[in-house]
Amino acid sequence: MLQYILKRILEMIPILFIVSILIFFFTHLIPGDPARLVAGKDATLDEVNIIRAELGLDKPIWDQYITYMSNLFQGDLGTSLKTGLPVSEMFADRFMPSVYLTFMSMGWALVLGLLIGTLSAVFKNKWPDYLGMVTAVSGISMPGFWLGLILIQIFSVQLGWFPTGGAESWKSYILPSITLGAGIMSMLARFTRSSLLETLRADFIRTGRAKGLKESVVIPKHALRNSLIPVVTIAGLQFGFLLGGSVVVETVFSFPGMGRLLIDSIAFRDYPVIQAELLLFSIEFILVNLIVDIMYSMLNPKIRYVS
Amino acid sequence: MRRVNVWKMLFVAFVSAILLAGCSSEESGGTSEKENSGKSASGKDQELVIAVNENFISMDPHNTGDTNSNSVQTAMLEGLLGSDEEGQIIPQLAEEYSVSDDALEYTFKLRQGVTFHDGEPFNAEAVKTSFERIMKDESLRLNSRGFNLITSIDVIDEYQIKVTLKEPYAGMLTRFVSAKILSPKLINDSSSDIGKTPVGTGPFKFVEWVQGDHLTVERFDDYWNKADRVKKITYKPVPENGSRVAMLKTGEAHVIYPAPVQNLKELESNSDVEIHKIPSTIARYVSINTMKEPYDDVRIRQAINYAVNKEAFISVVNSGYGLPLDSIIPSKTQFYSKQEAYDHNIDKAKELMKEAGFEKGFKAEIWGNTNSDTLKGMQFIQQQLKEIGITVEIKSMEEGTLSDEIYGAQTPEEAKVQMWYVSWSAYPSDTTNATKPLFSSSSFPPDGANTAYYKNDDVDKWITEVNQTPDPDKQAEIYNNIQSTIYKDAPWIFLGVDEILAGSRSNVDGVFISPTGGINVTDANLK
Repeated sequence: MLQYILKRILEMIPILFIVSILIFFFTHLIPGDPARLVAGKDATLDEVNIIRAELGLDKPIWDQYITYMSNLFQGDLGTSLKTGLPVSEMFADRFMPSVYLTFMSMGWALVLGLLIGTLSAVFKNKWPDYLGMVTAVSGISMPGFWLGLILIQIFSVQLGWFPTGGAESWKSYILPSITLGAGIMSMLARFTRSSLLETLRADFIRTGRAKGLKESVVIPKHALRNSLIPVVTIAGLQFGFLLGGSVVVETVFSFPGMGRLLIDSIAFRDYPVIQAELLLFSIEFILVNLIVDIMYSMLNPKIRYVS
Repeated sequence: MRRVNVWKMLFVAFVSAILLAGCSSEESGGTSEKENSGKSASGKDQELVIAVNENFISMDPHNTGDTNSNSVQTAMLEGLLGSDEEGQIIPQLAEEYSVSDDALEYTFKLRQGVTFHDGEPFNAEAVKTSFERIMKDESLRLNSRGFNLITSIDVIDEYQIKVTLKEPYAGMLTRFVSAKILSPKLINDSSSDIGKTPVGTGPFKFVEWVQGDHLTVERFDDYWNKADRVKKITYKPVPENGSRVAMLKTGEAHVIYPAPVQNLKELESNSDVEIHKIPSTIARYVSINTMKEPYDDVRIRQAINYAVNKEAFISVVNSGYGLPLDSIIPSKTQFYSKQEAYDHNIDKAKELMKEAGFEKGFKAEIWGNTNSDTLKGMQFIQQQLKEIGITVEIKSMEEGTLSDEIYGAQTPEEAKVQMWYVSWSAYPSDTTNATKPLFSSSSFPPDGANTAYYKNDDVDKWITEVNQTPDPDKQAEIYNNIQSTIYKDAPWIFLGVDEILAGSRSNVDGVFISPTGGINVTDANLK
């Protein structure tokens, strides 16, 4: 297993190399001239040209690419065209809040999603199932933007329990994480339910029950564990997306995360920030995929990886 | 039976846990409004929170042009000159100033007894260090305009300094307002920190900036202009309108800017909140490409202006907040002179269309960005021009793409733009910036924002002349000619001037918003 993990990590290097090339050229393909956007509407052509030269945008694209890659190999993510600050410094303030928010949203979405899904499957077509599925459908149907504003209205404006935004204390994370986690929780609940129902119909469960195993053993130990593979896949994918930035929720709650930074940077054609952020998201996705694969084999010992 | 009981118990336990969590958070978090509303303790020991709609870009005053960054910088940094509530120029770190007759020499007598936040003394050498930074550092691209005309900076004595230009520039005084004076120690020893931790002479000093979350400043107790003011100010970027309003209602924010129009009624009915309406220098217009057929005929452009109901524009697009644009510059701009506005007169518009040979109308195209307000504005124009037979097609483009389309044309012949729905904002004291980039024939894209490709030899001559005239009376006369001539030539659909809307808690005192949207907190206090 260790060898397999090492191999996967080594495989990341060429993948990231290709990804970085694609990111660089696609970023430069976005229409819009950063020099013009930096200079403002009233700038003269001379002023725009001075800025273009200073930002290095007047050089051939290959030269720019070589500079970008050589800086990248030295661990330099570049300097923002908009703020003039090193990109790594801009990330430093925003990365951890995004990570905390992701873990918190994912944490409660997983716990509640699994619980509701399991209860719904066990009590199929009874009131806990109906209640669970109504909750799940509501969670999926509510747009994050709307849910966020409703939560602010109820819990911040009316009740005054939580702040309306920011990321200053643990309280600031509650409402955004509920908003962000609602959809994922619902999805996980539905997947858990259908997957568990299928497993409960399997021969080995019938055998277990026939042998006199208690339900409290059959369900968590045998059925649930075997139903988790699709759930883990979905959870992994969602986790990657969440880390990649959830722009809507970050906007509603004025949350200082990576998603908003990306959108601001795209609007301003801030190439170094866009490139660095996309590269970071690619690394995150690759790592999450690796973790998901490892979890498969932990859940089902029949899945073995050979290097 | 037994199986069901286990799960039922689990379910009950789960519901109880949620309810308990809800109750406990009520106990711990229920006091947030009282804590934040700032009513309990005396104002000067308190923290003021200001929520604005965008992130701050940089704290380097010599390298930023956005309103929000400038607002925060103004709390910490000062220039030789400042601006008052109306946006007009007043002395700040200079007690007096004079301009020579040829408009080339600016002499400043500096305020004495001023210190920077790091303890450095403020004097003529400090001013020289800041000005030389703007002139020489090539990376300071935005504020070098005007400063690249400086030929020499002479220190006359410790508190007098003279700046000489190579050619007259009417906007120079405004440049002295925006050229904030930084501590010479910061410039010489750690210039890379200027954008992150600026050091100036202002009423508040820098404390902390967490990118994307907040920026905090603290009262500077050795400030030269002693007065009671709040101890701390925290600025927060809150882009979502609803969230900003919620913050004002809960008392988490004491001032919000801008206040969203759609929430005004709700906020006005709240006794803890005050709404401020400030006439701005933001002009809303549609530039018409005067070099393209049929817009090259002044009768067509005038007909379009007669066809558009400006009052209806303000009530439909700006929700009733704003004033008609009755000159080429807003009324808060220096040297403004009111023109006879094009009234809403469909008959006259049709008559002009007929005279120009377009009785049956024609097809037109209007460009704008993807902002929902812009879209609403363009739809309004589309509906209004339909009345005189002009069928307008709306082309909505993302800002960067639009900028490429507009400024990509190297000559007027290459330009594809017919009509552009846009706005312009200049400092109230800088009439040059409110006219030259928009109406001088030297400012055709890509060399400026004259997207109407407007060319009038008289206007070109006047724009050059006014820039070289130091006498304000003479300037007023020339600007009067410029305004009346261009307004009659109608290179724009003159729409409206925005009213800036801001909200504050009723216990806030001494905070004002300037016509450019800058927030001044010099005398900020909580009652």
